[in-house]
Amino acid sequence: MVDLEKMRTIAKETVSRDDVRYLIGWRQGTYGFRVSPHFMKGPEEAEKLIFSPLCSNNLATYLTLTEKLPVPRGEQPDSRKIAVMVKGCDSRAVVQQLIEKGIERERVFVIGCPCEGVLDLKKVEEKFPGILSPVEVEWSGDKIIFTLPDGVKEVPKGEVLAKKCLSCRYPNPVMSDITLWDEVKSLGDGNYEDVKEMEEKNPQEKWSFWKDKFSSCIRCYSCRNVCPMCYCEDCVLDRLNPQWINRSANISENSAFQLARAFHLAGRCIECGECERVCPVDIPLMALNRKLAKEVREQYEFEPGLDPESKPFQSSYRPNDKEDFIL
Amino acid sequence: MNNKPKIGVYVCHCGVNISKMVDVDAVTEFASHLPNVKVVRNYSYMCSDPGQLLMREDIKNEGLNRVVVASCSPRMHEMTFRKTLAAAGLNPYFLEMANIREQCSWVHEDREDATGKAKKIVSSAVAKVRLLEALYESEVNVEPATLIIGAGIAGIQAALDIANAGFKVYLVEKSPSVGGKMSQLDKTFPTLDCSACILTPKMVDVAAHPNIELMTYSKVEEITGYVGNFQVKVRKKARYVDMDKCTSCGVCAEECRLAGRIPSEFNENMGKRSAIYLPFPQAVPAKYTIDPERCLFLTRGKCGKSPKCVDACLAGAVNFEQQDEIAEFKVGTVIVATGYDVFDAAKKPEYGYAEYENVITGLELERLVSASGPTGGDILIGKGENAFVPKEIAFIKCVGSRDKSVGNEYCSRVCCMYTAKLAHLVGEKIPDANVRVYYMDVRAFGKGFEEFYDRVRREGVRYIRGNPSEIFKRGDKLVVKVEDTLTATPLEDEVDLVVLAVGLEPRKDVREVIDLLRLSQSSDKFFLEAHPKLAPVDTATDGVFLAGCAQGPKDIPDTVAQAKGAASSALVLLSSGKVKIGAQISFVNEATCRGCGYCVDICPYGAIELVEINRMGNILSVARVNDALCKGCGACAAGCLSGSVQQRSFMDRQILPQIAVLGVMR
Repeated sequence: MVDLEKMRTIAKETVSRDDVRYLIGWRQGTYGFRVSPHFMKGPEEAEKLIFSPLCSNNLATYLTLTEKLPVPRGEQPDSRKIAVMVKGCDSRAVVQQLIEKGIERERVFVIGCPCEGVLDLKKVEEKFPGILSPVEVEWSGDKIIFTLPDGVKEVPKGEVLAKKCLSCRYPNPVMSDITLWDEVKSLGDGNYEDVKEMEEKNPQEKWSFWKDKFSSCIRCYSCRNVCPMCYCEDCVLDRLNPQWINRSANISENSAFQLARAFHLAGRCIECGECERVCPVDIPLMALNRKLAKEVREQYEFEPGLDPESKPFQSSYRPNDKEDFIL
Repeated sequence: MNNKPKIGVYVCHCGVNISKMVDVDAVTEFASHLPNVKVVRNYSYMCSDPGQLLMREDIKNEGLNRVVVASCSPRMHEMTFRKTLAAAGLNPYFLEMANIREQCSWVHEDREDATGKAKKIVSSAVAKVRLLEALYESEVNVEPATLIIGAGIAGIQAALDIANAGFKVYLVEKSPSVGGKMSQLDKTFPTLDCSACILTPKMVDVAAHPNIELMTYSKVEEITGYVGNFQVKVRKKARYVDMDKCTSCGVCAEECRLAGRIPSEFNENMGKRSAIYLPFPQAVPAKYTIDPERCLFLTRGKCGKSPKCVDACLAGAVNFEQQDEIAEFKVGTVIVATGYDVFDAAKKPEYGYAEYENVITGLELERLVSASGPTGGDILIGKGENAFVPKEIAFIKCVGSRDKSVGNEYCSRVCCMYTAKLAHLVGEKIPDANVRVYYMDVRAFGKGFEEFYDRVRREGVRYIRGNPSEIFKRGDKLVVKVEDTLTATPLEDEVDLVVLAVGLEPRKDVREVIDLLRLSQSSDKFFLEAHPKLAPVDTATDGVFLAGCAQGPKDIPDTVAQAKGAASSALVLLSSGKVKIGAQISFVNEATCRGCGYCVDICPYGAIELVEINRMGNILSVARVNDALCKGCGACAAGCLSGSVQQRSFMDRQILPQIAVLGVMR
């Protein structure tokens, strides 16, 4: 059961530690169902923290974005930890970042929040349109309780939960320094029914599907910027020499961008679904990522973001690796 | 320099290899219209002297600064044409090969299509050659010393050859004595020389040679560095006996409380030894060693009132205070001569090796017929009063070789002949013995082998073609159940002794050596040579060579020949004193590297490491390539997500235009 008091107490304690620089948690957004990340620097800010079905944001993204400012001569770089609150999927992002040395274990303090599934805001806003004042939402068994301006509404989980949560196998953090409450049961069995459905289409059907989706891409790069695994300071797809992808947003360049990104995430994507959530033109990006995740899992029995001591997928080779799918 | 590219394109006919399927004139005409192309020529054999002369003259007279040769695979003639460029005063890396033979004329059947493809390949090479950069090979010094791992006959021979050439050798052996498996053998096929008689002089030589530093009972713990400059760390295990004081009188072993109670490894566990022991009489060095896993004093801290060996040793050589020592040194080359293990016959339960005392392996029989063996050379089966001399003896060949069910598809190459040799020796020792050999095939391929096989058959050894299915006990006899496949007759052969001709396998601790040197294994799990025919003693790691059965099963003559080959390969580096380092190697753009270490794990040569750098006060980790170790395979560049690792001559900005030009042309 979510215990906000405990969460705030622990946040206070954590942020007061000498070796913690700040804590990243969630807070109520400025309107409606929106939730923002909160960078908490002192214990007095604890009351702002929330944890609810609205907390979709994967805060692990911010760990690798910490700017490394020049250190004045004679001073030491700030080596304090950053504390971060994570759901199950978010914790896999932290683990994957550790595997690929994006962050260091001793520079991060992980606060685990077992999660019963977050909402798909598109579904919610369709159900309750036009709500601008901040709203409270809670889990209650297999229902979600909305405290709206016009009263309390109960909605079955299945109607409003994000798709990724309905098949989620890792609702509990796979790694944490402290876990805030009891573990919860997973909602799904991790099947790839959606991927199989796509696989059954013939190449023409697939292409017309993706052509439609990719031609609407406006190359805002939200998907890349929100992705906890996309943290190269200088993205290879941004470069001018050589220019792998030119800047114009058209079907050719958009497809190249999206496919290149999907391949860069093969064996690394931890399926938090943030790319799809933030896409302003509703491209089903997880369909690409999950297809590759399925291949990696079935062909190589590999799943990213589970064991910080494991070798990265791309650089781990076993002599008995399958190769029968190579043309 | 060379701001404006002036490209020469040379299209080769390769006799008719190319011109038969590709319209060479059309390709020449096409190439003349490509951007920056100044000269285009075609010639029947571009690699011939007149062909190369054409190129050299054009480079001088026309001021060419880039060259495309449209001919065969770069594996064939890239080096040839690089030298041509260099001879004309051009940087040899301003060359791009357009492969219109292996990848075009040889694989197509339509002349028009093949010509079209040849044009594409040429235009793609022209697009790239403009962007190539001048590269320079560098040299590193070679430390004039060699590390040899394993002191069996392979290691011993290689050590002697290198030491005799005047270079330092560090010969490291895991067990207390040099000699390896050959020291366990009685006679050697097909000449029936006494194995010890031909081996022991060499064993003594390596111990006495001024250029050889022999480290027995030692283990290589770490090898870092690269060709010419390997840093080696060796652990010299404590023997608990002072090597300088021990006179090898042997009184300690006689007095040891465990005397005659520990199975002797040298005698394949058939004889017994003490906890303080000399592995075999001719051991080199002839110094006793205490087995730390057996010695009462070392395992329990107590051995009666005081250890008997200490009391018995007049020289005061026993020293329980001795500690492991670490030796560190530098070498230029490494020879891996770690040998083999014999197949564990218990993995073929149908032959009852683990069950019946009169089912033994070839190596066990070898010890029984040996004068230095547990029975003093008598073939006695069983213990004490029950020991008997077998009369009906069956050999079974290919046990653990040519057998997919145990995972060994290969032929072990020695079993046919050692079986013939042992069958002959049995006949010498037991004149009235009936010996038969069950075989699948007889492979007597070496010098004098067929003659020896013929001799053994004439001596009365029967060869029966059939692979026994089962061995079981009936009364006090063993029954070999087999079908004689030449006459299609099922047999149940009652015998007193079954000898399993066990094959050769990679050592069980092979992983340790792989981890030391990043060696590769072939599908049979022996070490992989760089090329099965043309580089049989080299490995993919420069400066590391293979000798003996570590590379694959072989007999003593082949092992010695290979050891001499490995020694001579090592000497090429040692005596030239310098080694060239490739120029088309990888490098890291530290500004964009995110330090994930993927390339470090991907690199099969251990050429990349993560190093810490200070960037404006922040300590960052970035990848760095060791130029001497990099082989230019490009795996790191392909694996780098941020495009920070690039390979010279194959940089993204050179390859992308090469690909792009294919997209815009029809």
